[in-house]
Amino acid sequence: MSNKDKADILQGTLDLMILQTVSTLGPLHGYAIAARVEQVSNGAIQLNMGTLYPGLLRLEQRGFIRAQWDRTENNRRARYYTITAAGRGQLEAEKTEWTRMAAIMQALLQGETR
Amino acid sequence: MISRLREWGHRLWGTFRSGDGGIDEELRFHLEMAEQDAQRRGESAREARLRAGGTAQAAEAVRDQGSVGWLADFFRDTRHGIRLLGRSPFFTAFAIASLALGIGANTAIFSLMDAVMLRMMPVHEPGRLVQFVKSRGDITYDISCPLFHQLREELRGFDGVFAHAPMGRREVIFGDEPEAVNAELVSGSYYSVLGVPAVAGRVFDEKTDRNPSPVAVISHAFWKRRFGMDPGVVGRTFRLNRTVFTIIGVTPPEFYGVIAGAAPEITFPLTMDGEVRGGESWFPYNSRSWLSMMGRLGREQHLENARAEVDGIFSRIVQDEWRLAAGAGTREREGILSQRMRLEPAGNGLNVMRKRFSEPLRLLMGMVALVLLIACANLANLLLGRAATRRREIAVRLAMGAGGGRVIRQMLAEGLLLAAAGGVLGVLLACWAANALVTMMSNGGERLALNIQPDLRVLAFTAAVSVAACLLFSLAPAMQAARQRIQPALAEARGVERWSLGRVFIAGQVAISVLLLIGAGLFGRTLLHLHSMETGFESDGVTLFSVNADWSGLQGHELRNRVLEGLQPMPGVTAASFAMWPISHRGWEASVRVEGYTHAPDERDMAHHSFVAADYFKTMRTPVILGREFGERDTETSPKVAVVNETFMRRYFDGRSPLGKWVNVAGEPDRMEIVGVVKDIRSRSLRGEVPPTLFTPVAQREDPPAGTYILRGKVNAAIIATALQRIDAKLRIVDPRTLDEHLSRSILSERMLGTLAGFFGALALLLVCAGVYGVMAFQVARRLKEIGIRMALGARPVQVTGMVLAETALPVAAGIGAGIAGALALTHLAEKILFGVKPTDPATFAGACILLATLALIAAYLPSRMAARVNPVETLRCE
Repeated sequence: MSNKDKADILQGTLDLMILQTVSTLGPLHGYAIAARVEQVSNGAIQLNMGTLYPGLLRLEQRGFIRAQWDRTENNRRARYYTITAAGRGQLEAEKTEWTRMAAIMQALLQGETR
Repeated sequence: MISRLREWGHRLWGTFRSGDGGIDEELRFHLEMAEQDAQRRGESAREARLRAGGTAQAAEAVRDQGSVGWLADFFRDTRHGIRLLGRSPFFTAFAIASLALGIGANTAIFSLMDAVMLRMMPVHEPGRLVQFVKSRGDITYDISCPLFHQLREELRGFDGVFAHAPMGRREVIFGDEPEAVNAELVSGSYYSVLGVPAVAGRVFDEKTDRNPSPVAVISHAFWKRRFGMDPGVVGRTFRLNRTVFTIIGVTPPEFYGVIAGAAPEITFPLTMDGEVRGGESWFPYNSRSWLSMMGRLGREQHLENARAEVDGIFSRIVQDEWRLAAGAGTREREGILSQRMRLEPAGNGLNVMRKRFSEPLRLLMGMVALVLLIACANLANLLLGRAATRRREIAVRLAMGAGGGRVIRQMLAEGLLLAAAGGVLGVLLACWAANALVTMMSNGGERLALNIQPDLRVLAFTAAVSVAACLLFSLAPAMQAARQRIQPALAEARGVERWSLGRVFIAGQVAISVLLLIGAGLFGRTLLHLHSMETGFESDGVTLFSVNADWSGLQGHELRNRVLEGLQPMPGVTAASFAMWPISHRGWEASVRVEGYTHAPDERDMAHHSFVAADYFKTMRTPVILGREFGERDTETSPKVAVVNETFMRRYFDGRSPLGKWVNVAGEPDRMEIVGVVKDIRSRSLRGEVPPTLFTPVAQREDPPAGTYILRGKVNAAIIATALQRIDAKLRIVDPRTLDEHLSRSILSERMLGTLAGFFGALALLLVCAGVYGVMAFQVARRLKEIGIRMALGARPVQVTGMVLAETALPVAAGIGAGIAGALALTHLAEKILFGVKPTDPATFAGACILLATLALIAAYLPSRMAARVNPVETLRCE
């Protein structure tokens, strides 16, 4: 699967991934988010910076996450992202929508293979 | 949804904010972490960096998300443009100044056109207002009071009609001090039909017509000027003639009356006409036409239907009049039948000025548009030059991947900056210029009450003109810049195209300015002809004035005799007289019968009839060719006499002496004996033939008309005023002016056109010279090396100079040719305004071309000298 195809898959799901990650793991910097997504997907999804950071900024602009400069354990300056109340609401709504959509797709695809 | 709005809010905010919130640091951190992780996993750092992607691209993507792309581009272009323009202050100043002049001139003329021709009256639904125009043949007349009343009673298709009559300056007295105000008589329906309410007190209504009472409504401007907007003004009283009037209300500030340019300060009920005039009421007279009439069409009524209705009613009225005039001559009765009543849309007010100024204003509008075109061509040329010097910069940008559209937008942004600055300055300039023009149009007389505050229409016009100008002058250079091929530009193009865009612009500019110069020349010669024509009198050293005698006991013949007797012995005065309309072709047209002459049935029998006092011709220095002029012996009781002009003598007596013959004027009981012949008097406002004219002594009239006093000699208004006081302490001087001033009012539009056309012509010339100089200097600068080589190969300085001049001569000659062709096609538009010169006057054409060619070559000579002084060794060493 080429990089471009991966990006296509990511369309629309990037927000969900970021929100879910930040929601479960608490304040995270951008690299940690990318690493977590890569780890969970067993390396199938590798978020490059050109995708991740505009996405983070967009979520921040929409008020779903908050960003703050802070120190890492190694005392390096990094930007940490935290989910907001609005972000949690959005996450719940998108999760429901995703599950519903996935179920529909599942049913459709099984129907076809039969 | 709300979250989307928030996002766009942030992006918009981010567009204007500088700084990126530390994205570079964040990305650096990301890469470091990725490399550390990779090392921990045993992979290479390079692979980690590849996976994370490029920092620059990521930063760009974040910036895009952080702002509104095209807007950010626009601001970036604008900032870049400001920097670039700041780097060449001379170019910037020249560009803005010439744009400000061009746009300012356009805005000024347009705001005058707007005020004179376009602006609707600030009344309720002005589109439904119509004016009633009575005519007989091609002459229009006012309407008599009985006719107004009859029409008002019978018309059905109207929501109302009203009549009004401007009364000019009247002296009113609040307390003790008299002051002159603009007065107007209006019928009770005036305000209600116009839909103009009172801002204080009340305005007249239909009841005002039924119970005549001495009341008055004042204008907002007068309220402000005279009473400082004191709310207690309602109920205040003032005297006019022998009547005490009470102010009952104030009109809104935006209402200037229905006659553009003559805003009434106090309006009186029509029923008070006698009191305001200080004489008898003209109400009952069918024969006195003194009212203007307007009406408001019914809501569903079409103008055509209303016309049909008015036609029907009016033709019946005319038939009645025709039957009643059974005793009159056939010609008179035919005249009655030829009367018509027209309806004309009057939404922008009755505009005496429209008739007078719309033609000149239209011509001026054309001229200023041409001036702006020249300014644009100039800027386009200069920008082309700049673009050429920036070829490397632009080529680098294109090579870096900037699209052609991006380069065009960038250059347009620069043009827009210039146009905006020019537009703003232009509006300021226009405010001042429009004011000056109104002063010029008022011509020393009372200032025309024109509303020239720039309104939305004017500002929209200016904005449109500025944007159009920007497109005109920056599109061509921008397109050329974007079209350029990267390779040759980087290698520095050589070779000069014979017909570069720059030279095409020069040819265009020259063509336009030839057109403008020819126009200026034609108008200038018209003015000269008007000033130098044989007038039949000497205007130098003559003072005119009127006298207000309302507060003295003097009137009529006694007043005139006392004033003339009192003024004649004054030191410095060599002659004094009086006339109803001095040196004017206003006056009465009268049907005449002359001893020994029978008019053919279809021959025009009208002569001009003018009333003058003793010594009129002596005072005007009009030569008396035969007989004598009027003197002391011509009185009310002496035999009635007349003096005729040369044209009259030629027409009715075949050039033989008319002395002793009689003449009779229709409507006058007595025959008059012709006692003298004078030279034709021709006022400058008269373009055609001098009409046959008959003068009769004002002393022999039963009802002496008001008129103007004429003094020849060294006197001024103050001296005259003192002399009047000696005659009667209550006499006051009104409107003193020299005869020259008086006459210049009559050629106002010609003077305005002549002066402004001259000014615009000069401006065009200046711009063209600047343009030619700029382009040639730039060409020379670019070709220094080529010129150096030529000289190294043996070309002499003279040859180099000749080469540069020849290169200028070509576009200039082409431009002159095009300009002449344009002028031949266009100058006939001004034919009506020209006098004594044909629209295709060869001398004017030649003069304009020679002037332009000479100045253009001088402008090109300076750069050619520069070229001739090129030192071949130095220029070649430069590279």
